[in-house]
Amino acid sequence: MDPSLYLDRNTWVHRLDPRTKMLLLIATFVLAFVFLNPVYELVILALVVFFGYLAKVLSNLRRIRFILIVIAIFTIIIWFIFGGGNLGGVIYGISIAIRIDITIIAGMIFLSTTRNEEVAIGLVRLGIPYRFGFAVSTALRLVPTIASTGLTIGQAQRSRGLDLDSGNLIERIRKYVPLLVPVFVSTIRSTNVFSMALESKGFGASPKRTFYLQPTISWRDGVVLAVLVALLVAAFVLRAIGFGG
Amino acid sequence: MKEIFTMWRHTQMVVLVALSAAIYAAVLIPFKGFAIVPGFIEIRPANAFPVVFGLLFGPAGAWGSAIGNLIGDFFGTLTLGSIGGFVGNFFLGLLPYKVWGAFFRGRNMETNVDTGKRLLAYVAVTVLASAVCAAIISWWIAVLGLYPFQVFFALIFFNNAIIGGVIGPILLYAFYPRVKRWGLLWTEILEPEEVSASRLQRIGNLLVWIGTIGAVVVGVFFGLSSKNPGTPGVVIGVALFLIVVVIASLMLGGREQVEAVEAEEEEPGAPRVSRAR
Repeated sequence: MDPSLYLDRNTWVHRLDPRTKMLLLIATFVLAFVFLNPVYELVILALVVFFGYLAKVLSNLRRIRFILIVIAIFTIIIWFIFGGGNLGGVIYGISIAIRIDITIIAGMIFLSTTRNEEVAIGLVRLGIPYRFGFAVSTALRLVPTIASTGLTIGQAQRSRGLDLDSGNLIERIRKYVPLLVPVFVSTIRSTNVFSMALESKGFGASPKRTFYLQPTISWRDGVVLAVLVALLVAAFVLRAIGFGG
Repeated sequence: MKEIFTMWRHTQMVVLVALSAAIYAAVLIPFKGFAIVPGFIEIRPANAFPVVFGLLFGPAGAWGSAIGNLIGDFFGTLTLGSIGGFVGNFFLGLLPYKVWGAFFRGRNMETNVDTGKRLLAYVAVTVLASAVCAAIISWWIAVLGLYPFQVFFALIFFNNAIIGGVIGPILLYAFYPRVKRWGLLWTEILEPEEVSASRLQRIGNLLVWIGTIGAVVVGVFFGLSSKNPGTPGVVIGVALFLIVVVIASLMLGGREQVEAVEAEEEEPGAPRVSRAR
C-alpha cells in the first residue's frame, strides 16, 4: 500500500527547489484570502488549477473532487444558515467555499510534486532544527508501513468475526480497540532498537549535518518567485483600490 | 515547559515523536470510520491516541500528535487550517500529562487507569484537552473567516472527547505496563533538570480550567451573536483565555513526576531503568 500523493512526472514544477514550492504554497494561501468576491476567487482558482495542469497532477485532483464538492456544499449551507438565510449569506458561502477549495487544491499540488524527503530537507534548509525534520521525514516514511500493518490486522480481525458495522455508536467505537492495540504495540516496541541503530550510525554525534539530497535554487526558481511577487503585489493593489471586496 | 525543547536531546524521544506521529497518521487511513458528514465529521478511532501518547510519552507524545495530524493533512487536506490543527493537537497531547501531575501531586503519579479515581482523572483530562484543542482550531478557523467558532468547536470537541473517552482508557490500560517495561515512559527518559518545575500548581490547575471554559463560553457567545466569524469578540476574547491556558501550562510544570520515578528507582531492590541519550 502506498498512500503517498507524490506523482513522479518530468515537469519544471517537479524540478523546483522544495523551498520555492513551500513559498508558492504559502503565497497561494495568501492570494486565496485577499479577495472576497466569488468572481475574483474563481480567477485565482483557475490559476491554481492551471498550475496543476502544467505540473501534470490533475489526476490527483480528480481523486479529491468528491471532498471538494461536499466541502463546498457544506460551507454554502453553513453560511446560508449563519448568514441570515438570505442571498448575501449564499454568496458569502460560495466565496468561502472557493477559498477553502483553493487551499486544498494548492496543498494537493504541492504534495503531488514534492517528495517526502524534499519536504524534510526543505524544512531543515528553512531553519527548522534537524531533529524535528528527521522526526517528520521518519514519520512520513513509516506511515505506509504502519498503514499496511493496520490493514492486515483489520483483515485478520474481520476474518475472526470482528464486525465493525453493527451496534450503536459507543459499541462501534469500542470495536476498534482490537485493531488499535496491535498497531501500537508492534510499532512502539521497536523504539529502543531504532534508537540504538541511529546512535550506532552517529545520529547526533555532530551538530553539523550533511545530506544526500542537495536541492539548489536555480534560475527557474528565480523566475517563479518573481512572478509570484508580481501576482501578490497586483492582488494587494487591486484590493487596495477597491476591487474584489 | 522547557521539556518540550530539551526532549529533542534524547534519541529515544526523537524516535518516539516519529513513531507516535506515524501511528496517529497511519491509523487515520485504513481505519477510517463511517462518515456522518463526508469530509467533516467521521468516527476517527485515531483520535484516542493523542491523550494516551501525552500521558505515556509526555512532550514526545505532544509533538507526535501535532506532527501526526499535520501528516494526516498531507493526504489531501493541507490548508492554512493545518496550522491550527498542528497547535491544537500539540495541546491535546501536552495538557494531559501536565494536568495529571497536578491531580496526583504528592501521591502515586503513575499514568495508568487501574483505579476508579485514575479513570475519572483520565476522563477529566480528556475532556479538558479536547476542549482546548477544539477551541484553538475553531479560533484559528474563525480568525481566517472560514466558519463560525461554535460550528467547528462542536465537531472537533465531541469527536475527540467521545473517542478519547471511550477507547482511550482501554488503550492506556493495555499500553501502560508494556511501555513501562520497555523503559519508554517520558518520566524514565528525561532527567529532572530537563523538565520545568511547577509553580503554584494548584492555581495553575484552576487557571487551565478557567481558561478553557472561558474560551469556549466567549467563543460560542460571540460566535452566535455575530454573522462575522472573525468578530473581535471571538478573535480577542478567545485568544485572551487561550493565553491563560498557556500560562497555566507553564505553571503546571512536570518535574515532580520525573523526580517521583527517580525516587522509586533509588529504592533498595528496585530495578534500575537506563536513561539513554
